[in-house]
Amino acid sequence: MPTEKNIYRPIRAKLTDVIVESPTIKTFVLIPEEDFSFKTGQFIELSVDGIGEAPFTPSSSPLVKEKIEVTIMKTGYVTEYMHNLKPGSYMGIRGPYGRGYPVEKFFDKEVLILGGGCGFAPIRSLLYNLAAITDKLRKVTLCYGSKTPEDCIYKPYISELRKIPKFEVYRSVDKGDSNWTERVGVVTVLLDDVKVDISNSVAVVCGPPVMMKFGTLKLLQMGYPEHDIYLSMEKNMSCGLGKCGHCMMGKYFVCKDGPVFTYDEIKDQPNIWN
Amino acid sequence: MEYFYTKKTAWDELLVRLLVSHDIFGPVAGEHFQEYEHLSSATVPEVIYNRPKPASPLKIFFLPVRENVTSPRKQEKQRIIIGAPACDTEALGLLDEIYLDSDFEDVFYRSRRQNTIIISSDCFDVMEHCHCTSYGIRPWDEKKADAAVAVKGDTLFIRIISEKGRKFISDTGVFTPVTDSSMVSFIDSRHRETESMLERANRLLPDYARTGSLVKESGQALWVKHSATCVSCGACTTICPTCTCFLLIDKPGFHKVKQMDACQYPGFERTAGGEDPLGELHERFRNRYMCKYVWKPAKFHSTACTGCGRCIEACIGKIDKNKLFMELAK
Repeated sequence: MPTEKNIYRPIRAKLTDVIVESPTIKTFVLIPEEDFSFKTGQFIELSVDGIGEAPFTPSSSPLVKEKIEVTIMKTGYVTEYMHNLKPGSYMGIRGPYGRGYPVEKFFDKEVLILGGGCGFAPIRSLLYNLAAITDKLRKVTLCYGSKTPEDCIYKPYISELRKIPKFEVYRSVDKGDSNWTERVGVVTVLLDDVKVDISNSVAVVCGPPVMMKFGTLKLLQMGYPEHDIYLSMEKNMSCGLGKCGHCMMGKYFVCKDGPVFTYDEIKDQPNIWN
Repeated sequence: MEYFYTKKTAWDELLVRLLVSHDIFGPVAGEHFQEYEHLSSATVPEVIYNRPKPASPLKIFFLPVRENVTSPRKQEKQRIIIGAPACDTEALGLLDEIYLDSDFEDVFYRSRRQNTIIISSDCFDVMEHCHCTSYGIRPWDEKKADAAVAVKGDTLFIRIISEKGRKFISDTGVFTPVTDSSMVSFIDSRHRETESMLERANRLLPDYARTGSLVKESGQALWVKHSATCVSCGACTTICPTCTCFLLIDKPGFHKVKQMDACQYPGFERTAGGEDPLGELHERFRNRYMCKYVWKPAKFHSTACTGCGRCIEACIGKIDKNKLFMELAK
């Protein structure tokens, strides 16, 4: 008799490495004990045994099947436990859940990506995906902002990105230091620097709610159509299954109908920025 | 509609025989209200028919308050639930859409639904807050249960609704088909009487769609005013036949315990980053009505308020949503 699929049961994954990205952000490298794959922008429910579970969008390439990387900022009870885990520990994974980035809709277009803080995590996964299909894209422009140079994550990866043809990287920090040579200011200032053909471009935004809000408003001012702005929404996605109700954003269950939405899909829903 | 009949005493004897192989539940009288009881041979004759409504909603049989959803499913005895009113069986539509969703089917819910025969009871009476007809639901079931009963004197009539219900009736061997429609004409009359009572009682209550518009259009001041006596206890959601929100609690061994939750509790939508769209009492209060009358109707085919009125009866803050909506509709 085939095993009955239990939607609530996590699979175990071995933590093989923990990479310190910034004082508050670490990347966890996990090897699931069962087959596991995801599409870029989809999220997982990651759990610490007996402690709790939280939603994260993997930051690794969706094209790599044998391992999964999850970048986590220490912000609360569960993530504090996660930050204390050592390689060799086991975590639980449920998913993948939701609707990720519709990469095929980006073909033959410029992709402008606006990211802030730990919002770079889902974006890195998207960038890995886009880097594998550069022949299908016109250009990829990354605008990434963080609070300080110390808070900039994925520093080695930024160097790699700058070497990829058709990729451009712009960075800003709210407050620089003597070694910082790039822009200073909130991430939206980078949008003044970029050169994009808006008529043939899509924009992707991921980051803290306040950054998502002002980033989106700026993109609209620049002339991006509402249906070409893709937002990765962060809500309290608890079950991931479109059932528990914690992530309702108006008529949408963010976990199942999202987490990636176009702005025109959600602009009339309540509380999209908080 | 296809009816069968038998003597009420024969029906009770049948239920007593079925107690060997089934868990049977039915509403019996309590001190202040009727409530579902796990029936025994002594309580089978006490089951109340054709009067609204058990204190608890039907969902309690399918969505336990708390259960481990990662441990192996226990094989449960077949269940028969008698006496569920139409406002409760109608609510199964939304529960089915959520829990039997083909993308993520909840096997615990599915197995309970499959394992249960639901015998509804037509309402031949109304209670103070009943308002199913205002939301397009009749006080008798023709779609969601497996069968429905109507009792007259010492005869029990049963209406077939589903194939499962047909098989159940057929297997019992105690029912005779009704071939003379005049035998069941009283049922039709009682239906109309109940409908008419409900319509008279709720003539000022806006219908489901209008309620949605009123809720959507109302500003913060109204919600602040009407939530003043709400204490966020969650009684309204607990007692609601269509409220199904839950929390997953982690237990050692990567186990998950699923526990019923309520959008009325502080922190329901709070994220780790601290954002909380429902941080204020009036926001939570409004959320429940937006969910029931605006958002769920936009997302699902089934109704998210069946007009049972239990939330009014359960509210310790004495919040009467019907009075609120009637005031809005003025």
